[in-house]
Amino acid sequence: MKRVHVLLAALLLAGPAVAHHGWGSYDAARPVTVSGPILTSKYENPHATLTVKGSDKEWTVTLAPTSRMGNRGASVAVVSVGKTVSAYGYPSTVEKDEMRAERITIDGKTYEMR
Amino acid sequence: MLDSAPGIFVALEGSGIGQAIRQSPWIYMAANVGHIVSLMAFAGAVAVLDLRLAGAFAATSPGRVLGGARRVAILAFLGLVLTGAVLFTAEASHVIMNAVFQLKLALIALGLLNITLFEFFVAPQVKNLPPLAPLPPAARRAGIVSIGVWIAVAICGRSIAYF
Repeated sequence: MKRVHVLLAALLLAGPAVAHHGWGSYDAARPVTVSGPILTSKYENPHATLTVKGSDKEWTVTLAPTSRMGNRGASVAVVSVGKTVSAYGYPSTVEKDEMRAERITIDGKTYEMR
Repeated sequence: MLDSAPGIFVALEGSGIGQAIRQSPWIYMAANVGHIVSLMAFAGAVAVLDLRLAGAFAATSPGRVLGGARRVAILAFLGLVLTGAVLFTAEASHVIMNAVFQLKLALIALGLLNITLFEFFVAPQVKNLPPLAPLPPAARRAGIVSIGVWIAVAICGRSIAYF
């Protein structure tokens, strides 16, 4: 069991190793909820991304690695273009109009991204 | 950021290989895991090698220790390059512009230069020394520089995601 834990720890550490901009650069003190139709959906690693037509502007919503999303039921079909999503998360302090989702709700179901 | 990257890296990221890495549910994860495992093997081999050069384990035969550790270090380095290339290709246009990644590349070049100079000019003098014989100062220097450089490379590698 210990070995499994060590392996899991290694996986967790390795996960976001090459995120294209820092996981540190999101403002957790200013959470936002972006709701609207999904305009584009990229179900790709290292993390899936959506563009969402929010009430104020078009947001880029950064999700999670695709294997984790799949494990939690957020398949490629669930986050497809045209569906309405509500994403709760933190705005980027670096990239304009980008946010990292803590959880998303689609068709009445909530999926955790962390 | 995307448009400021040299075209070759934009093309690499957009290539079929780049797409396949991003769209596969497991390739990126496997490369990430493989990178860490290779890093552990590399760090272990380099630690043995560099510490011997720096004066530790003086009762061992330097030629034997260097020979064994060198083989593991080369294999592990190949593993690091291979898995690192996969991770890089997936996000080439972003990563190449990352200052910490650029620093990491420069440090890797420095580490390889250090090894090359050591292998050509110092290793032949060390190879046949008996256990407990004092090593030439250049060997100690090479070992200490090597440890410092590779630790700095590891720090940069882990820090790419935060800059």
